[in-house]
Amino acid sequence: MSKDSAAAWPHDRNRPTFTPAPGGGLELAPSALDVRNLTIAYADGHVGVRDLSLELRRNSVTAIIGPSGCGKSTALRAFNRMNELIPGTTTSGKVLFHGIDIYDPAVDAVQVRKRIGMVFQKPNPFPKSIYENIAWGARLNGWTGDMDELVESSLKQAALWDEVKDKLKRSAYALSGGQQQRLCIARALALTPEILLMDEPTSALDPLSTAKIEALLDGLKAKYTIIIVTHNMQQAGRVSDMTAFLLTGDLVEYAPTRQLFVTPRDERTERYISGRFG
Amino acid sequence: MTERTRLSEAFADLDGKLALMAAKAEESLLKAQHALATQDAGLAKEVKRADAEIDALQLEIEDLAAVAIATQQPVARDLRMLVAAFKVAADFERAADHAVHLAKATATFAGQPRMRSLDRLSAMAETGAKMIRGTAEAFTRRSAELARQAAAMDDFIDGEHKALTAEVLAMMRERPEEAEKAAKLLRTSGYLERLGDHMTNACEDIVFMVEGVHVELNA
Repeated sequence: MSKDSAAAWPHDRNRPTFTPAPGGGLELAPSALDVRNLTIAYADGHVGVRDLSLELRRNSVTAIIGPSGCGKSTALRAFNRMNELIPGTTTSGKVLFHGIDIYDPAVDAVQVRKRIGMVFQKPNPFPKSIYENIAWGARLNGWTGDMDELVESSLKQAALWDEVKDKLKRSAYALSGGQQQRLCIARALALTPEILLMDEPTSALDPLSTAKIEALLDGLKAKYTIIIVTHNMQQAGRVSDMTAFLLTGDLVEYAPTRQLFVTPRDERTERYISGRFG
Repeated sequence: MTERTRLSEAFADLDGKLALMAAKAEESLLKAQHALATQDAGLAKEVKRADAEIDALQLEIEDLAAVAIATQQPVARDLRMLVAAFKVAADFERAADHAVHLAKATATFAGQPRMRSLDRLSAMAETGAKMIRGTAEAFTRRSAELARQAAAMDDFIDGEHKALTAEVLAMMRERPEEAEKAAKLLRTSGYLERLGDHMTNACEDIVFMVEGVHVELNA
């Protein structure tokens, strides 16, 4: 990363890009991510996402739904440049974060992933203690503050602290699946991201653990912007403020969740969400 | 396209029960009208008895819709239809209650000479019956157009109610001794006017069910 672009990259979340408000004051741009004409193709030529444009609202939960293979996970991975890890994938279009295209050659993908974190479908804790699962990544990313405090606050934000505070030195593998997933959320939060991407974060969990994570999302959105890919339409209805429906790589409808689930505008959305697709 | 068998069955069941409920409410209203016109006290009693069946049908419809919501997780048009079923059934139930009110007026006007105001009540009831039928048809055919047509009939009922009110007020001034009958006429006319409003509300719910937009009909 060049010196200039490093200066332009919004490192300090207290110093985000501001736009002048109509009244002359300053206000935060309403969208956390501004996706423009994003097209992603795999090595075999298959287009995963076609000409996707959408503005993802700050401090809200956006759900991306659609049948298997519709491109929802591909789109999610594009939001923090994870598709680059798949050889042969090509990406065109822009993903603007604080006005900067995260695909700009001058932007460092590691910095992107630090500010835009990802939680995966299956909990994937490190084979380390609960404490180290959080401390390790933070230390690698240059955290120099009070580590105990960071571990505690991250676990509290992920609603896991009360369950693990007396066994922080125990292996993360000793936790239940639901606890492991909340640990992964805590680990992502410890890097103080602005945006949290979640790829079917509850599909491997039982209903009780799922309910805990869903309740967690509602609290987290005050501080973070959350984008969740889910197969579970009831979950999208329960947790999200906005919903995007993708079909064979195309964005069919993007609307406030309550509107999309009660009065969808597109017949394809209607058929999919009411279980009449296929 | 995959069909959702259980949900489709529930909808067919709901359509049948709502159509039956509407048919009974329409029948009650026409019987009450006939009872009033012919001073048939026996017919008026029948109307009262039928009301229990209509109430029972409303509960059946509510149970069916509640079970479909709880077990089928309906969204979009499916959900709007189940919500409309609850509301339309409640409006049919109220319509049937107003038929009973009309039937109860029979005793008050027994042996009375023919009055213009009674003819107006009769005309209002006839139009109300058409509105009930039209509303049920709009629901079962998922037709916003039929709902708008049914709701449009409310103007006639409102007009008759207004004219009857003026006539009865004049009658009260001219023959104060008939105040009790006048009050009954006004109340009964008010019930039929409410019946028209209930059907209009039901039609608005049907338009939302079909088109997904809230409308106010006959505003």
